[in-house]
Amino acid sequence: MIYGDKNTGVLVQGATGKQGEFHIGLMNTYAKQVGGKGVVAGVTPGKGGQQVHGVPVYNTVKEAMKHHDIGASVIFVPAGAAADAIMEEAHAGITTIVCITEHMPVQDSMKAIAYARMEGASVIGPNCPGLLSPGEVKMGIMPAGLFKRGNVGVISRSGTLTYEVVDELTRAGIGQSTVIGIGGDPVIGQTFMDVLERFEKDPETKAVVLVGEVGGNLEEEGAKSTSLPIVSYIAGVSAPPDKRMGHAGAIVEGGEGDARSKIARLKKHGVPVASRVSEIPEMVRELFRCGC
Amino acid sequence: MKLREYEAKNVIKAAGIPVPAGFLIRSADELTPHLGELGDAFVLKAQVDVGGRGKAGGILMADKATGTKVAQELFAKEIKGLPVKEILAEKRLSIQHEYYLSITVDRSSKQPLILFTEAGGVEIEVTAKEHPELIKKVVANPLMKELPPFMLRELMGSAPKEIGPIINKLYRIFLEKDALLAEINPLVTTPDGVFAADAKIIVDDNALGRQGITVNRDLSPREREAEKHGFSYVELDGAIGVIGNGAGLTMATLDLIEYYGGKAANFLDVGGGAESERVKNAVQLVASVPTVKVIVVNLLGGITKCDEVAKGIIAAGISQKVIVRLAGTNEAEGRRLLSEKGYEMLDTMDLVVKKAVEVTS
Repeated sequence: MIYGDKNTGVLVQGATGKQGEFHIGLMNTYAKQVGGKGVVAGVTPGKGGQQVHGVPVYNTVKEAMKHHDIGASVIFVPAGAAADAIMEEAHAGITTIVCITEHMPVQDSMKAIAYARMEGASVIGPNCPGLLSPGEVKMGIMPAGLFKRGNVGVISRSGTLTYEVVDELTRAGIGQSTVIGIGGDPVIGQTFMDVLERFEKDPETKAVVLVGEVGGNLEEEGAKSTSLPIVSYIAGVSAPPDKRMGHAGAIVEGGEGDARSKIARLKKHGVPVASRVSEIPEMVRELFRCGC
Repeated sequence: MKLREYEAKNVIKAAGIPVPAGFLIRSADELTPHLGELGDAFVLKAQVDVGGRGKAGGILMADKATGTKVAQELFAKEIKGLPVKEILAEKRLSIQHEYYLSITVDRSSKQPLILFTEAGGVEIEVTAKEHPELIKKVVANPLMKELPPFMLRELMGSAPKEIGPIINKLYRIFLEKDALLAEINPLVTTPDGVFAADAKIIVDDNALGRQGITVNRDLSPREREAEKHGFSYVELDGAIGVIGNGAGLTMATLDLIEYYGGKAANFLDVGGGAESERVKNAVQLVASVPTVKVIVVNLLGGITKCDEVAKGIIAAGISQKVIVRLAGTNEAEGRRLLSEKGYEMLDTMDLVVKKAVEVTS
């Protein structure tokens, strides 16, 4: 497993908000199914003493840490408060921080991620769906019904597109070790390279599907860094230059990050790239067949 | 959102970076009483929201005698299809040397990236390609409020010392104004000192609120309407309307349209947990685009309730054909509602897109 397993106690910041409450419910339903610890504590400043789906809520992360064994956190606070939430958790000693919050200003992301790095914490996101290791742990908002346990890791910059890929894999009988959405913003904590490094050390993961988007060159950087067999898909081939499609990750940067040149660079490096999501399962099978 | 040149110059001037003497005019008449203030020779620069305006004829030289006439000429022009509504009139500088300075967000290091070169000016992109070694780069920890002297030495080499404080002032602007890009090109030396001859600032759309910017000018009226509903929306020029949830999935739907030889009319991401009212608004918005002949709805997710989506599509009551792919909670009920009304539902995104391309070709 990477980042967490059944025994990981999870803290949720923004526990009493609409999103936080809803997803604590879903995460703990999943934890119950697989016999995991799930969400053990919530934090909302000023709401200490309340309960959400039976989970105790505290005013600060430090207070929650005193009463519970916490290995990871999931953040659902509004965009303006997300940097503070990340830094509070890193400062309190949480080492895996998943930030679901979208629309976080980039300056805030840069500062919070720099601070977390100094405290030795890994940030996943912001603007991401979190991660799910089938049969072990769900940290975030992924719809658990689509998943099946297996040996393929999935790393993606998208949310729903990740579910589409997982759905295709599961229908084709290909299970997943861990599926992780690293976020669609220009500045994110864990990149393809960081996650691939973890997958390399994970005995459950034999191959990886890398789902990228236009913008930047993190996909190529990641593909070059690993010895694991990879299949890739890059969204945004039809994106017009300089147009923004939903998040900043889709800003095409001076020809560098556009989808076609990204695909060309991946292929040059020997990574097979699917033209459609529905081609991915067959390409993964091909990886296993040739053993390469 | 990209600030116009005069707005960017106001920001850097307020931070203490010298800019050429000048003022903004909205008609040629506004220039006439001030003709004496800019010296003998001055520059008229169209304030239009496009790049490469100099090469497109948006920057004209003028003097006291010709000023009003040249301004009239520039106001009558269209620069890359945009009318000229504002002109920045600026004193001409006696340029000795042009430098390039910019600060941007580096995705790989997740930190501000500062670029400086002694070979500045309009050909900066050519320089970057042909002589990358001339461009000095430094990444800075964003928790630092100013760059330490060693970073400035690494960047500046033998450039004049007065540039050091300017780099630090621009860095502060980058941090405090929520910039994705803060650029001075060229930064020029003259007998009267160092000046920012041109400036560009792009403000993070996610920070417009706290920067006091209420209207995002980069959006078209329909894009602004979409923003009000909380949709991400981009206008394109095909006949197939697209509604999806999540930027990645919606983008992949557009890519698939291109793969099958069709052309998308738009990108619309309704966001998570779409309720019937939101779906109705989205369908009506896309249907209001005159070129749209058919609409593809591709929604997937555990939170999205298919019966809500179906109700929204039906309530929109539009005349164009709607082809739907839905997966999620209450799928059977959604299907029942839609098929009762004669809507077409298909199982995969490949199938819906293929069908839409067939309909439009």
